[in-house]
Amino acid sequence: MTTTLTIPTLTTNRLTLRGPQLGDFPRYAEIFASPRARYMDGPLDRDAAWKEFAADNFGWLVLGFGYWTVVETASGVIAGFVGLAKPPCYPEAELGWLLHPDFEGKGIAFEAAVAARQCAYDTFGWQTAVSYIDHDNARSIALAERLGCRLDSDAVMLGDHGLVYRHPAPEALQ
Amino acid sequence: MINVPTLTTKRLTLRGPRASDQTGFVEFFLSPRAKYAGGSPDRAKAAQEFAEMVAHWPLHGFGSFIMIRHDNDQAIGHVGGLRPAGWPEPELGWSIWRDSDEGQGYAHEAVVAVRDHLFTDCGWTTAVSYVAPDNTRSLAFAERLGAYRDNGAQTPAGLRCFAYRHPIPGAAT
Repeated sequence: MTTTLTIPTLTTNRLTLRGPQLGDFPRYAEIFASPRARYMDGPLDRDAAWKEFAADNFGWLVLGFGYWTVVETASGVIAGFVGLAKPPCYPEAELGWLLHPDFEGKGIAFEAAVAARQCAYDTFGWQTAVSYIDHDNARSIALAERLGCRLDSDAVMLGDHGLVYRHPAPEALQ
Repeated sequence: MINVPTLTTKRLTLRGPRASDQTGFVEFFLSPRAKYAGGSPDRAKAAQEFAEMVAHWPLHGFGSFIMIRHDNDQAIGHVGGLRPAGWPEPELGWSIWRDSDEGQGYAHEAVVAVRDHLFTDCGWTTAVSYVAPDNTRSLAFAERLGAYRDNGAQTPAGLRCFAYRHPIPGAAT
């Protein structure tokens, strides 16, 4: 008997979201080493980034969802990571994104997050989704708002300086 | 696509980890039994370790199996391929979670089956197990498995251990 794990590949206008590979890690670590990681308990060294990478991806096997590697289809370059995660310490499952600094300001994170959210609702059957965002992370807050999220002050926070943005319910996006 | 096989031995089923295994793993990790397995009294760290163990499957294509006893359906430990960041090579590791399941040959049965699987199905050409110099039980066990102390092997930074290299199945000894 074998359990087969198939990670769906999602495509958007400009992007291919595919299952993570070990070879993606250096790019992931690069993002976590950059100053933008200050909003995600970073910057982190490689060993600490590996723990994050593992936490983002353990879900594929045991929860049925996880992170995708976001590849700019035209160039084949990794633009970032987007996905669905519920590390053991999270109060609820999150839609998260992590963009490489080279790809900022092009609407890439928005495009990837929309695809991941749609997969969460339509394929994985999620009824709701949150994004945990540091209250100083203006760019991510703007993205959450663009995604139609609302600040949910009743939700349990992650850590002590985070905001919880709740995504529109599946019905609201029909 | 990643395949996680289920292996069967005389007394055990070795299957991929499930979310429901987290509790048993965490209790082990918090206990004195995890002294040689990175154990810590920090529950969040234990949960993180579980996540890291599970994440091996999608990222490496190999990982750890949970040992389930046929006679009582209890999860009693884990065994499998392990490669944390920065390690010089992947390790074959195992842990029996509770004292009550120790000393009955379960680890031996499980390690032999998983070692065969790693060589046969996962393309491993060699395997080491890192054992702490004062972990006398595991030192004896590694030798019973036919592994020998490989003093030339690089060991993970910060880990005080011997590298025991396993025999390659089918190779002349």
